[in-house]
Amino acid sequence: MSGPRRTSVVIDEEQALDMVADGMTVAIGGFNTAAHPMVIVRGLIRRGLRGLRVIGGTIAGLELDLLIGAGVAEEVITSSVTGEALASIGPFFRHAAESGAVRVWESDEGILYAGLRAAGQGLPFLPWKAGVGSSLPDLNPDLKVFTDPIAGEQLLAVPALRPDVCFLHVSRSDHYGLGQHTGSGFGDRLLHRAAAKTVITTERLVPNETIRANAFETSIPYADGVIRAPWGAHPYSSPGHYLVDETHLNEYLAAAASARSGDRAPFDAYLERYVTGPASHVEYLEQIGVRRLIELDEWT
Amino acid sequence: MSELDFSRDELLACWIAAQMRNDDRCFPGANLPVPRAGNLLAHLTHAPDLKVGIGMVRTNLLDEPVLEPFKFSTDYRMARFAEAVIIHDEIFDNPRHSSTVFFVGGIQIDRYGNTNLIGIGEDPKRLKLRGPGSLGTVSSAHYSDRYYLYTPRHDPRVLVERCDFISVFGHGEGGDHRARLGLDRFNAGPSALITPLAIIDFETPDHRARIQSLHPGVELEEVQAATGFELVVPEEIPRTAEPTAEQLGLLRERIDVDGLLRSS
Repeated sequence: MSGPRRTSVVIDEEQALDMVADGMTVAIGGFNTAAHPMVIVRGLIRRGLRGLRVIGGTIAGLELDLLIGAGVAEEVITSSVTGEALASIGPFFRHAAESGAVRVWESDEGILYAGLRAAGQGLPFLPWKAGVGSSLPDLNPDLKVFTDPIAGEQLLAVPALRPDVCFLHVSRSDHYGLGQHTGSGFGDRLLHRAAAKTVITTERLVPNETIRANAFETSIPYADGVIRAPWGAHPYSSPGHYLVDETHLNEYLAAAASARSGDRAPFDAYLERYVTGPASHVEYLEQIGVRRLIELDEWT
Repeated sequence: MSELDFSRDELLACWIAAQMRNDDRCFPGANLPVPRAGNLLAHLTHAPDLKVGIGMVRTNLLDEPVLEPFKFSTDYRMARFAEAVIIHDEIFDNPRHSSTVFFVGGIQIDRYGNTNLIGIGEDPKRLKLRGPGSLGTVSSAHYSDRYYLYTPRHDPRVLVERCDFISVFGHGEGGDHRARLGLDRFNAGPSALITPLAIIDFETPDHRARIQSLHPGVELEEVQAATGFELVVPEEIPRTAEPTAEQLGLLRERIDVDGLLRSS
């Protein structure tokens, strides 16, 4: 066929990171210990970005803890920063929240989603009931208690949470930003709808024909950028591909715990080895090693 | 516990199972093994129509020989039990479709059933202890028909006179505080507080915590000493019902095969 051609939106890590500047609001998708766009998380640290407002999954994993520990995040917007069974709370998050070094946008999952929906709908806020009577509006001055004009009851006004850029990790995408998750996709779709721009990292870059063979699975239609990133959620799990690298996360947690008790050398060494040292995702994977990566296969 | 052939956690799982109804919906979290076991036990006994969400899927579990526990709530291998997928943000478009029953934890729980997952300290900018955060508890407890408070630790640091911060509002400062805030639309506050020593409810005129039952082998003095406020004590204190052989068999052979509950 002759005629005009579509434009590929495939970009590399550096082009994606060029979209972020100090002080921006950035969303990091995934949930708990799964599907975080780690190529971007490490890149933000490598670039030395500062003062970011980071919106995580409504329950975030230790990727936000890492961004706090590396000094990138000034404010975290999530209901929890956790390593689940490995750590009920992220060490850097805990320390920074206790000392006031990082702002915590105190909320719960329902409240966060209300803020993201408001952004997607171009509204200044959406109302939410749960949280009235709690300490959340005292601790988070962005949440305003107001009297609703219909029934006269007290509600929370949850302001729009609009990411300047949203980064997500998916299972497969074509060159035109048609991303597909394997499994649920957690809250990634709503982060995409709320954001001004979305960039996805993808386990596999596939032809448009592969997407069309299963069009009903397209969960992120038309991302603004696509980065080919096999093993791109490591050390977290990637649904349909690989499991959590518990050995790696325990190495991280030990380094973070050491930093909390005053000795930052192990964490600096962790950053050098895995984050700032490797110049690209491929170099990072070389550092992790083929043997470890293959061991993480989901169904072995 | 040597004279008894069940553990405290198995007892609690059986008590939780008894609270579940056949027409309930539940979404037991990966990190609350006792409520998870209780929900699943109900499903395999008197509640075959219970809608059980695990991880990010809705499930058909009845014919599964072993309900394998997963370490991480996002483990995709739970898809083997799936009959529908849960898109997480859609839960909050109607939380009642996910959970008619919900379980709430707390680093502090107070005499009026308020809970705190936020932190401990007087100055929120200088917390003595930062908690894990509110997770989905605030919204999910609000929308459920019934919700239960659960703590694996019963001591005066957890069961306090007044929470330093409130994540899930129970009865606030007692009396009709909940109704005054319009929080009584879906439920009337926490149905009970489940601890390793006792079941505690809030069935008093001002909604102060009251002992509903003591677990086998537990004395009233022990519970009061482990509680940071004065409990209301009924004239006759029942004992928490003991598990049956059938319940223990199901727990050990199909639900808690790794023995997590048996060990505590």
